Amino acid sequence: MSAENIEDQNDNRFSTVGKTGLFVSGEPVDAWLDRLLSRRLIFVMGKGGVGKTTISIALAGAAERMNKKVLLVELGDTDSIGRLYQNQALSASPRKLTPSIWGARVDPKVELEAYVRKHVTPGFIAGKIIRSRLFEYLFEATPGLKEVMSLGRLWRWEKEENNLAGTIYDLIIVDAPATGHAMSLLRLPDILINMIRVGPLANQIRGLQRLLKNRHKTSLVLVSLPAELPVNEAVEFNSMAEDILEMPVAVTFINCVYPVVFSRTDLQQIESIETSDRDFSFSAESRLITSARILNRRRSDQQKHIEEIHAKANGHVQEIPFCFTNDLTINQIQELSFFI
Amino acid sequence: MTGMLNCIKDPDGPKIIVCCGSGGVGKTTISAAIGLYGALSGKKTIVLTIDPAKRLADSLGLNKFDVNAQRVPVENLIFCKDAPTPGAGLYAMMLDAKHTFDELVARYAPPEFQKNIFRNRYYQHLSNNMAGSHEYMAMEKLYEIFNQDEYDLIVLDTPPSRRALDFLEAPQRMLNILGHNFFMRLFKPYLKAGRWGVRFLNILASPVLKGVGKVLGQQALDDFSGFMQLWDDIMFEGFSRRATAVKELLAGSHTLFLAVATPQRLPIDEAIFLSEKLLLNGMPFGGFIINRVNCLNSNMEIQGFDSDKVFTGTRIDPGLKEKLISAHNNILKMAENDARSVNRLIKKSGAENKNVVLQIPFADSEIVSLDDLYRLSRFFTR
Repeated sequence: MSAENIEDQNDNRFSTVGKTGLFVSGEPVDAWLDRLLSRRLIFVMGKGGVGKTTISIALAGAAERMNKKVLLVELGDTDSIGRLYQNQALSASPRKLTPSIWGARVDPKVELEAYVRKHVTPGFIAGKIIRSRLFEYLFEATPGLKEVMSLGRLWRWEKEENNLAGTIYDLIIVDAPATGHAMSLLRLPDILINMIRVGPLANQIRGLQRLLKNRHKTSLVLVSLPAELPVNEAVEFNSMAEDILEMPVAVTFINCVYPVVFSRTDLQQIESIETSDRDFSFSAESRLITSARILNRRRSDQQKHIEEIHAKANGHVQEIPFCFTNDLTINQIQELSFFI
Repeated sequence: MTGMLNCIKDPDGPKIIVCCGSGGVGKTTISAAIGLYGALSGKKTIVLTIDPAKRLADSLGLNKFDVNAQRVPVENLIFCKDAPTPGAGLYAMMLDAKHTFDELVARYAPPEFQKNIFRNRYYQHLSNNMAGSHEYMAMEKLYEIFNQDEYDLIVLDTPPSRRALDFLEAPQRMLNILGHNFFMRLFKPYLKAGRWGVRFLNILASPVLKGVGKVLGQQALDDFSGFMQLWDDIMFEGFSRRATAVKELLAGSHTLFLAVATPQRLPIDEAIFLSEKLLLNGMPFGGFIINRVNCLNSNMEIQGFDSDKVFTGTRIDPGLKEKLISAHNNILKMAENDARSVNRLIKKSGAENKNVVLQIPFADSEIVSLDDLYRLSRFFTR
């Protein structure tokens, strides 16, 4: 790469680092975080593989440091949270993961069964329904049934504040399924309320709708990566959340951002060392310089995607540094939560 | 040992290549590169993809992807001067679930019923959102194009499922849900007396249905049975024949499955899981493509350097020297991490002695042109 190229890239980087850097922001550094963690329910959304679970756990860690009791909920079909904490899958009833973080996994089928048992009498008929193949069938084929059952569980956890003594969660963090599914999940109450107007299900849906659209109680958080497809999706999701869900994205996290290591002066100095009389080819020095170039180029490849999110996201945008590892441990994620 | 993907060049090689893997691993780009490789090997090739990136369309020289096949102007390649042989060439097509389902209905259902089907809420759900509908539709389109016998090679980029396996099981699940026998068994106990032709659900007389109606709402149940009747009458024959044929096609000798992953834990686990599942079901598995691997090139191989001695005789700022060393260590760390991941894959999948793992190095720059894709496809010759 020529000298001009490197300088171009760095100019580009320099023009934005002031306003997009990790610790620099228009408001007091943690105001957005205080606001977010003062909610009751946070949905962490994003494409598969962008780091939703990592961000969910990091947010839980940050809330724990504010002395909050947190319930971490897994809504998709993976069992990453349990595996990260204790190498054991989460179950439908909350289990203590740390002194003030509990974890649970929502199983819509279990919820639906409980629901049928609650609302269908006599009990043997309920049992018959649950065991029937028709039930299996409708469970798979009925639009929105799984989703509304999952949401119902969250809603009841949120409500428990007023009803139960003992362990009460200050904050429920939901590690949501990949964006497409999560979108239809959150749209569901609006759609269903027009289909089902009376009955126990309708009441539950109304309660849900009120909870989801209450901006003091519920926030959406989006996780993205500084690459083309995730960014396109993040931008699209931001506007859909605002227009269709009426639940604007509160915070967009850009995960795996390469650090800006070399300043412009640094790169000029590297350049001048390289063009000096001494021949560095095949030396340790040339290897170091090559590595520097690689990191520098990757960061500048990310830059336009980062800028696009900053320009188009609705709420706060938070960059999360890349950790140079493939498999974060729970301790590494806790460290990340300090970056948040 | 010949390369894992050499079979693509073989005139008697696979006619269908299915690229599976979790989302975000670059499956679409890899599929396009495989397509280009096929085209340059003298085959008339089509790449079927869902949700393609705008940039990929740009890099192929297309304005945007379309539900109709579009020719990719491979003659614009700068690096590769061997133009494809006459008859060969590269085509791209975007898959769209709703569109394909609507086509199916239009093909099989008499016009007077079509409107009712299109309007039915279950149909709308089924064609758009139901778990498996995208996967089913991809299979459907694949089968259609295969039978038209217009292309020598079809490369299918599978839908981004949370679990790569969904893709394989979804068609069967759909068939179960829409299958005639299953449906009959399911509803027979609840049908009013009389022949099947005048069937409607006897909701009042069945406590089970009454219970279900109470939970889901009467309307939902009516919609559902209404859809199933239409579906059963009109669509089922064709639909079910297709699903069975598609299954046979996928398990047959014309097809090759590839698992695409990146070195991160989740994608690697998915790839291993997928390969096991394929082998278990007797499906033809061709190997793993590990994309975006941080490799060390020859003059960067892991060897110690004396951090006190590097840059002696230069006037380097000590701070900069430290940064350079730490940046280099990060690069080494990534390469070691990735090598560990790939080794885990090789070990877990029992691939030690087989040439079934192909690593693609982390690209120097983003893929923005046909030539970038060509450069990527050169790794397939290894």
